[in-house]
Amino acid sequence: MSAAILRVEALVKRFGGLTALDGVDLTVETGEFHAIIGPNGAGKSTFFNTLTGLLPPDSGRIAFAGRDITGEPPHHVARRGVARTFQITSVFGNLSTLENVQVALLAHARRSWSMWRRARGLRAERAQELLGLVGLAGSAEQPAGTLAHGDQKRLELAIALAGEPRLLLLDEPTAGMAAQERLESIRLVHRIAAGMGLSCVFTEHDMAVVFAVATRITVMHQGRVLAEGTPAEVRARPDVQQVYLGEPA
Amino acid sequence: MKPRHATPLAAAALLVALPSGLPDFWLFIAVQVLAFALYAVSFNVLLGYGGMLSFGHAAFFGTGGYTAALVLKQPGLAPALVLAGLLPAAMIVSGAAALVIGFFSVRRAGIYFAMLTFAFQMLLYTLALKATPLTGGDDGLTGLKPPGLIASPLAYYYFTLAVVGAGLYVLHRVVRSPFGYTLRALRANALRVQYLGVDVRAHRLAAFAVSGAFAGLAGAIFALSSGNVFPSWLDWTASATPVVMAVLGGTASFLGPALGAAVYVVLEVVISGRTEYWPLAMGVVIMALVLLMPAGLTGVWRKGG
Repeated sequence: MSAAILRVEALVKRFGGLTALDGVDLTVETGEFHAIIGPNGAGKSTFFNTLTGLLPPDSGRIAFAGRDITGEPPHHVARRGVARTFQITSVFGNLSTLENVQVALLAHARRSWSMWRRARGLRAERAQELLGLVGLAGSAEQPAGTLAHGDQKRLELAIALAGEPRLLLLDEPTAGMAAQERLESIRLVHRIAAGMGLSCVFTEHDMAVVFAVATRITVMHQGRVLAEGTPAEVRARPDVQQVYLGEPA
Repeated sequence: MKPRHATPLAAAALLVALPSGLPDFWLFIAVQVLAFALYAVSFNVLLGYGGMLSFGHAAFFGTGGYTAALVLKQPGLAPALVLAGLLPAAMIVSGAAALVIGFFSVRRAGIYFAMLTFAFQMLLYTLALKATPLTGGDDGLTGLKPPGLIASPLAYYYFTLAVVGAGLYVLHRVVRSPFGYTLRALRANALRVQYLGVDVRAHRLAAFAVSGAFAGLAGAIFALSSGNVFPSWLDWTASATPVVMAVLGGTASFLGPALGAAVYVVLEVVISGRTEYWPLAMGVVIMALVLLMPAGLTGVWRKGG
């Protein structure tokens, strides 16, 4: 049995009368590429936000690499080796592309408190390497806010990788992209994550993208886990087809 | 010499040469410009870099002024000790005030942050007004003179130039440092920064304290020059001053607010010497400048160059 990098047990999150997460269980084995799918409002984003400590859970338990991280704030969770990207592209538009990655590298090296040294050259080589990895080597000096949407998504990936995470959480990594670009983009993520031995959990609406890379799939519906299994198992479930996949393939 | 050093060095040379033949009145105005330049730049470290609009920064300028006045009025202190301890005391006390006020204020962002800083400043205003034994109440503290070596207007001008120059240098180091980069990232997206493993609240608090300490330094310098401090220094209208200066000069540039301070102070002197309706005229001029140059004076410069 391989070690679970992430184990979530009976996670509950309520907003007033609405139960957004209704006892979610999820286990992610090390090295897995785990897709979370489900219709809008199924609780996917709330799940990510609760998992990473942005929202305190009402009950349940979250363990990362065997350690209980329930209730820890996002910056602690990040320090433990969990990186995330956002559904709405979140680069620092007022910084250059290179500076975006530098900020992340400096934060990871606990240098964000350094008030005296010039930051310009610090960790610049490593930042350039990471930009090369995601195919943005030529855009280093460009203000990140002026990058094309797809490039901003790739920059987000570089920022996430700067923290040397063990687990990547990607919230709709291909949102807003054209169909062909989506596949290329998720394959790039998959190649890099596999190369670094990272585990990955991602939410996605495009089934072509999901089935291209996912090793396991969890289907969420109305705050609960409806089904969980390999892509073939999930695809075969009639109830999954009904709530989400639509017409049988 | 690198090109990026050209403008600051030219400005420094000009400022060193400035007093030759200048009457004392204009030396006093020059000191005021320098003090407010430091004030506006320290304020803009929060606004332009950290995206935090403090609407209570007069609290720290005023605290610095009062601290300097109290040190100066302390009986039995050797003049050398007064001279050496004056400015550090002002920075420490206003920095500490910023730590306390910031501790509560940086929990909120945007307009709520602005309102909290505003409220704390009104609290200090009331304190300055009512704690008469310490602050002189409504009459303020008057009769302040720069001690010993820096007593003459010319000496005080050079003293101010050196202190403000050093202050700006330190603040410039801060905004170019990893901390400064983190602050700029915070302005764009605080949530994202949190997910880099950064304690956002602590960094905001540190920026607030640094900014407050340097605003206090500016207040101390101006208190000695003007010879008095009044509760009005802590009034909410006084908190609008650095906002206007920073926006006027351009918040996207490090020295923009300093330029804004110079224009503001000189305009005020020139216009108030000609008409009793000077605030009206000031308002019109500033409105025109902001409408014509939305990115501030330095914004126009940059677009042209």
